[in-house]
Amino acid sequence: MSKKTSLWALLLVLLVTMLMAGCGGGGGEKKEAAKEPAKTEAKADAKGGDSKKLIVYTSMKESLIKGIVEGFKAKNPGIDVDYQSAGAGKLMAKIAAERQSGKILADIIWTSEVPDFYKMKSEGILEVYKSPVLSEIVNPFPDYDGSFHAARLGTLGIIVNTDKIKELPTQWSDLLKPEYKNGFGVADPALSGTAYMSIALLEKQFGWEFFEKIKANGGRIGKGSGQVIDDTASGELCSSLAVDYITNDKIKKGAHIKMSYPPELLVVPSPVAIFKGTAKLDAAKKFVDYLLGKEAQAKIALEGTIPVREDVEIPKEFQLPAPKAALEKSIKINYLEVVDSKEAIVKKFSEIMQTKK
Amino acid sequence: MSSGTIKKDSGFGVAQLILLISIAVLVIFVAWPVILILFNAFFVNGEFNSLDFYRVLTDSETFKALTNSVLIASMTTIGSTIVGTFFAWLVTRTDLPYKTFMKSLFLVPFMLPSFIGALAWKMLLSPYSGYINRFFMDTFGLTEPVFNIYSYVGISAVEVMYLFPFVFIQVCGALERMDPTLEESARISGAGLLTITRKITIPLVLPSIMSGALLIMLYSMAHFGTVAVLGIEQGIYNIPTLIYEKIHQSAGSFESIRTGTVLSTVLIVSAAIIIWGQQKILSRGHYQIIGGKSFRPMELKLRGLRYPLLIFCLAYIGFTIVLPTIVIFLVGGVATYGLPLTWENLSLNNYKYVLFEYEVTKDAIFNSVTLGLAAALITMFAGVMISYVIVKMKVRGKGILEFLGMLPFSVPGSVIALGVILAWSGQFGINIYNTIWIILVSYIARYMAFSLKANSAALEQVHDSLMEASRSCGATMWQSLKDIVVPLVRPGMISAFFLIFLPALRELTVSIMLYAPTTRTIGVAIYTLNEDGETVMSTALAGVALVIIVVGQSLINHFTKKAGE
Repeated sequence: MSKKTSLWALLLVLLVTMLMAGCGGGGGEKKEAAKEPAKTEAKADAKGGDSKKLIVYTSMKESLIKGIVEGFKAKNPGIDVDYQSAGAGKLMAKIAAERQSGKILADIIWTSEVPDFYKMKSEGILEVYKSPVLSEIVNPFPDYDGSFHAARLGTLGIIVNTDKIKELPTQWSDLLKPEYKNGFGVADPALSGTAYMSIALLEKQFGWEFFEKIKANGGRIGKGSGQVIDDTASGELCSSLAVDYITNDKIKKGAHIKMSYPPELLVVPSPVAIFKGTAKLDAAKKFVDYLLGKEAQAKIALEGTIPVREDVEIPKEFQLPAPKAALEKSIKINYLEVVDSKEAIVKKFSEIMQTKK
Repeated sequence: MSSGTIKKDSGFGVAQLILLISIAVLVIFVAWPVILILFNAFFVNGEFNSLDFYRVLTDSETFKALTNSVLIASMTTIGSTIVGTFFAWLVTRTDLPYKTFMKSLFLVPFMLPSFIGALAWKMLLSPYSGYINRFFMDTFGLTEPVFNIYSYVGISAVEVMYLFPFVFIQVCGALERMDPTLEESARISGAGLLTITRKITIPLVLPSIMSGALLIMLYSMAHFGTVAVLGIEQGIYNIPTLIYEKIHQSAGSFESIRTGTVLSTVLIVSAAIIIWGQQKILSRGHYQIIGGKSFRPMELKLRGLRYPLLIFCLAYIGFTIVLPTIVIFLVGGVATYGLPLTWENLSLNNYKYVLFEYEVTKDAIFNSVTLGLAAALITMFAGVMISYVIVKMKVRGKGILEFLGMLPFSVPGSVIALGVILAWSGQFGINIYNTIWIILVSYIARYMAFSLKANSAALEQVHDSLMEASRSCGATMWQSLKDIVVPLVRPGMISAFFLIFLPALRELTVSIMLYAPTTRTIGVAIYTLNEDGETVMSTALAGVALVIIVVGQSLINHFTKKAGE
């Protein structure tokens, strides 16, 4: 008797957990169908393709992408959107694997690794779309042809843990001072697109010696672009190269960090593109228009990063320049040049910085 | 095989049908992916090429991962063996107070997924920000951290904390089963305690110690979570983490897949050797220890050490289980990582966000629960069928099945993941890559061993005469299966179900290689949040996962205890 009762209790709990987890549907069907996966393959494939939702792959963090997707859904109630937020390196790997298996799951890609977009463009997997709002935005790409649009001008600066370093740095060369000993971190360029771009920019400006000196001062490679900021906030690192809005989100939450932008500004545009052959082309176009529109750009500015519209104001506290001014101050680079050198740059950087213990 | 005859007059065709289905299940789910791995490791462009295998293996990066795996696994094995044997001895052969309670306490580490443990230790012992390191540095004015968790020793120590129960359980069993008269007769003959321990006790339990140690070796070599959390940042890779990085970063290019298959081959071979060694040791040692249980084994009087040792045990549990758990729940409560753990900084906001707002959580819990249920159910039924053929049926072609049945035991999780990618992503007409199904397929392969073990143990206890009696009374094969065998093995099936359901719930090694946007499992969600730098969110989710695991485990304990009565 009691055996039965507890069995029921167990089943009940499992059931409740499943219900709580939101009924994605198909729990029952799964069990019987899964017994012979060979037969249900077609069904599974359809499920994997999931034709109802617009899927966005992005390297923007939850704090930024969530609000934008919600805003878009509110304006376009008929379109359901799902997104995956992960480092640019991972997303590109995923896309490559998906291409091999025949179908790219995503409809839209929005990361900060500009060379990837040039590469995808040359491979012909991006849909050309000249957004009507183009005339209103600041375009950092001289060879713009509608394959991708900059949707944000990301900046990177030096952040310091305020418990460890009292004086904010003003120059890149400040990183070589003794107070930064054993504690300046750069995200792994293999994982993070912004880190890769900044390394390419800094190398162009100051050469590899700059990183060799940083290494000599105890510089380290971190993990993803978010992780180095958390490591700085916790004091594991005393300082790091950090992305603007991720830092500002953590500062808002009370992290003991401050950000500073040296005069040679690192600006990394985050392009957005539509994949060729998407079944939801109209929805995807609407999403791009929305992303470049005033509402989404205002959200971007509020998170503490530079929008691509001059008619959107960036809150004063972030001390960020307006889009055009930022581009003028920034270190210039020919993106086409860095398309093929990624592996070499990542390798060289890792060789210089890798700590062996 | 297809023309095989049935020796006994069991239902014609049924036996062969069952055998064929059993073979098919094992081939499709386990053997095929493994064959593909071996094939890809040794064949380049369709031609046998062992030179290239050697080249990949001796590539500095791969070779380093290989030696790291061996180094970490060896240190973990030695550490766990010492810790496990010592505690097992304490709770079985001494007069330690509250022994039974302590024994169950030492099994708790099994519940804590080791990658969550690793997360906690990262927060406690990372060089400059770990709470323990900071405490010592602040209190004693040190400039260098006390302990660096991002090291081989750190990784192994964390693995020991959560793996030592493998040895503990084995040795406890051996010590309890040991015939005390052996020791008594030695004592009567005048041997001292040291001589008895050296000449009687240790030789008798050595097989169990070795077998537990080998299990840990096998587990640790193929273990992803701890090394991923604590090692990658410092460039410490082992085989599974290198496979993961390769697959994820070079976008499934052939070169990376090949490196993966070569590494997997090494894992398969070492696993096979380990399993072989374990069985050899067990078969040699088994007959000696099974003896009368009528006497209580001789207990060592700890005297003045009784309470100090009890406190030591409690402190160990507190340090390895309670402390990390508390840290997980506390860090999950602060707004952003790095804030001091004071009352004003703590809130339930992260938990609220993770539970009710973060879309991925819902997906992840749903995925993990349904995957766990489906894998457990399918594997339970498949396992009982296969074990039935192996243990009970006398049918030609059984040898193949016995061989195939060994496979699941020796194929580590990361190998299975790579194998299913090769088998099920379109090259052979079926493409379930990026869907939940590929994870299910790999779970079935991964957990088949558990089910086979539990079910064959249960089946071995059912005497053949019962079935024969039923058959001679005129029941058909199906009838006697349904009315005699199934009711008798039900406890075995149920325990197989839970043995699979719970580990599947917190699985990481396999799902991290196979997830897509909507098919994250709980383990993947926690790991990716941490990797993306959402430290507090990932810890909050880890806290939620711990609650789910503990509730599930206690319900199961409660239920299985009732069932056993």
